[in-house]
Amino acid sequence: MIELKHVFKRYPLGTEALSDVGFTLAKGEMAFLTGPSGAGKSTVLKLICLLERPTRGQITVNGHELVRLPTRRLPYFRRQIGVVFQDNRLLNERTVFDNVALPLVVAGMTGDEVRKRVLAALDKVGLRGRERGSPLALSGGEQQRVGIARALVHRPPLLIADEPTGNLDAALSDDIIDLFREFNDHGVTVLIATHDLRQIDRLKKRVIRLGAGHMLGAA
Amino acid sequence: MKAYFTRHAQVFMRTLGDFARSPTPTVMTVMLIGLTLALPTGLYVGLLNLQRLSQGWRPHGSLSVYLKKGGADREAVATIRRVPGVATVRYVSPTRGLREFKTASGLRGMGLFGRHNPLPGVVIVAPARPGPHSVALLATRLRGLPDVTHVQSNLVWVERLDAALAVGRRLVTLLAATLGLALVLILANTTRATVASRGTEISVIRLVGGTNAFIRRPFLYIGALTGGLGALCALLVLEVGLIALAGPVAALNRAYGAHYRLAGLSLRQALALLVLGASLGWLGARIAVARALRQGEI
Repeated sequence: MIELKHVFKRYPLGTEALSDVGFTLAKGEMAFLTGPSGAGKSTVLKLICLLERPTRGQITVNGHELVRLPTRRLPYFRRQIGVVFQDNRLLNERTVFDNVALPLVVAGMTGDEVRKRVLAALDKVGLRGRERGSPLALSGGEQQRVGIARALVHRPPLLIADEPTGNLDAALSDDIIDLFREFNDHGVTVLIATHDLRQIDRLKKRVIRLGAGHMLGAA
Repeated sequence: MKAYFTRHAQVFMRTLGDFARSPTPTVMTVMLIGLTLALPTGLYVGLLNLQRLSQGWRPHGSLSVYLKKGGADREAVATIRRVPGVATVRYVSPTRGLREFKTASGLRGMGLFGRHNPLPGVVIVAPARPGPHSVALLATRLRGLPDVTHVQSNLVWVERLDAALAVGRRLVTLLAATLGLALVLILANTTRATVASRGTEISVIRLVGGTNAFIRRPFLYIGALTGGLGALCALLVLEVGLIALAGPVAALNRAYGAHYRLAGLSLRQALALLVLGASLGWLGARIAVARALRQGEI
């Protein structure tokens, strides 16, 4: 599902974020991408979502060679990935329903199908009945669940998450990570960037380690 | 196709909601656009009225031919009648001319000029073919006749008025183009600020696979709506102006015994102004969003 080969990323001011990074993640696999702050975890995720392009190297995601993917094809590529952020990036002036429906609406879906899918996604994350409210009325954990529902509502084959439990306490973190594992059990490929070693130990999934932009190992 | 229109309707309704949520800046922008459009539109309406008014004064290109004083007027009139291009002639004798002058100038009964009449005989010639070129050619022919001292074309002042109106029309066009450009820039700047305030929303839409067209759509609606409402505001300003002028124009009518009514824009012209306002708003928004989208692309 994901393959990175000799990937380098240098930012305009000369900061080398990644240097010769490479790993593969098979379809249906779940893995943690870990390392200290500044290791390059977020940069790897940005490259996989094509929010950034690599300076050098080859990245293949779900059969697409990202280096060759033209800019006009980006939106259609991104519809194959679900992304969850630490700060969840919800639109607070829209309802929970509208936030979750967004990936379906941008894909051109309307009417009953949107409603059915959004309610099903909210049901999965335990927020059925909260769809008419504002995200601001929800707790941090609930907001993160809305973010996860939004990432999965369009049923992408790949889910990536950048520090999804960074702002949550231990119990809520367990809930969120368990949700990811549940989706993985249903065949979704999951890659989670985190430095929460407790979660890594708890789930016994594959771990890809980064340090100062270099690969430290992929166990 | 139904889904396409449904999506547009949803975006349009959301845009109206955004308008309602922040009415103050929207109303101020609409008023600014309205006043910007009202100036050239008002001048255009002024010119239209001047043009309409002058239609009623236009002679049909007749020529006044002044004969030699003390000459043989009867023979001169017969000669003029035979000149090619002359349709009809009307002779005004010196006596009749003086009488008409005294009546028109209000000097009748004042005993001016005594027995001495300084006016020559005048022949009013109607050309067979109207139009400035034919009339000018006929005037040249008439000037060549021996008993003629002076030929005056009644079209001269009309030509001058037409030239002045043409200058006015050109000025209005230039003003409209300049203010139209200003309007596009105003709306581009307003949209740029709106785009900046929605940076998070745009980045999330990009992330979930929104195309540039999807991101652009609400801003284009905002631009077109703001421009269209601005044009509506300009029409209202114009209407208020016409109502304010109605009284003085009525007084002028009474003074001259005339029956002129100020005309505003026709329905078609009003609709054209609304479409123009909306189009300029759309263009301004399109420029601003295109720039913002280019900056966010990788």
